[in-house]
Amino acid sequence: MKLQSALLMIVAVVLTLSVGLANAQEMTKEQWQQEINKYTQMRNDLQAKVKILGDGNNALTAQSTKLDADCEKCMDDLYALVGSDRQKAAAYSSEVEAAEAKAADLMRLSDADLMARSSEVTDLENKVKELWGDKLSLIPEFWDRLTALDTKVKSLKETLAKQVKVYTVGTWSKDRDCLWNISKKPDIYDNAWLWPRIWQGNRDQIKDPDIIHTGQMLKIPQGKEMTGEETAAAKKYYRKVAAKAAAAAEAAAATAPAAAPAPAPKPAEPKK
Amino acid sequence: MLKCTRTVITMGMVLLCSGSLFLYGCSSSPDEEQLKALQALKDETSQLEKQVKDLEAKKSELDKTIAEKNAKLAKCNADQEIVKQRLAK
Repeated sequence: MKLQSALLMIVAVVLTLSVGLANAQEMTKEQWQQEINKYTQMRNDLQAKVKILGDGNNALTAQSTKLDADCEKCMDDLYALVGSDRQKAAAYSSEVEAAEAKAADLMRLSDADLMARSSEVTDLENKVKELWGDKLSLIPEFWDRLTALDTKVKSLKETLAKQVKVYTVGTWSKDRDCLWNISKKPDIYDNAWLWPRIWQGNRDQIKDPDIIHTGQMLKIPQGKEMTGEETAAAKKYYRKVAAKAAAAAEAAAATAPAAAPAPAPKPAEPKK
Repeated sequence: MLKCTRTVITMGMVLLCSGSLFLYGCSSSPDEEQLKALQALKDETSQLEKQVKDLEAKKSELDKTIAEKNAKLAKCNADQEIVKQRLAK
């Protein structure tokens, strides 16, 4: 009997709890209304915010477009100050960029390789000078880039200066100095055929390899291998000499057929 | 005495059950249409929140772009002054 009562009690409690739980999960109308009010308020606030943000963004877009136009006009005015325009400035910028690439390329070389390509340092120096000659160089962007290039060229030249041996040309009567003979000296190259190295390393002071002057300070590039450029210069020189000799021989044959052939030209006798 | 106690317990249980059922039956809850309306409102709010977030991101991007362009314009004006000075030398 007691067991029956206990079971009945358990069933009653379970039933009561289930009803209570069901009531707790279900939304009442009041709660629904509260939710509706809350979300309606949120929606209204968000709609207002969307409108404000949209209008603000439209204004910012317009401001951005105006700034674009202002910047372009300012740049045009800037180029006009130095008598240039955007196209010329773009071309100039490309030239500066090429010089920068060349400088970076040369800076990466070992000292020996740099010596072999010393003429490129001279070319680069001339190119930078040429770029400075353009009024566009007055624009700070280019000014700064060219200043940086100057520093690099200076550094390259310093490296070259440390590598270069200098030879002072003596007299022909006493020293028999010509490029061929200088190159042949044991303390220079010990190889007469390397004379174009001296010529190419001193293009700034030797225009014609057959003419050097007493007292000239010739830079002696390091290394005993000719670069492609030096070889090409030598070939060009030999062709020119051969053509000259042929012309002289023809002329001599025309005037005095019985005369002896003209002597071969002697390279680079120093002029007093 | 035992009979009396059992009767009281039984009556108590009956009262408890009927009270719970009465309470459950009397409480009012929203109908399906109303629940749908609430859900639609929630969805709309959620979409608006996303829209606000997007617009705020765009605003931030535009602010950044404008700051960059202002700096560019200021630099250009400064460059003009420098060029004028260099030309005057």
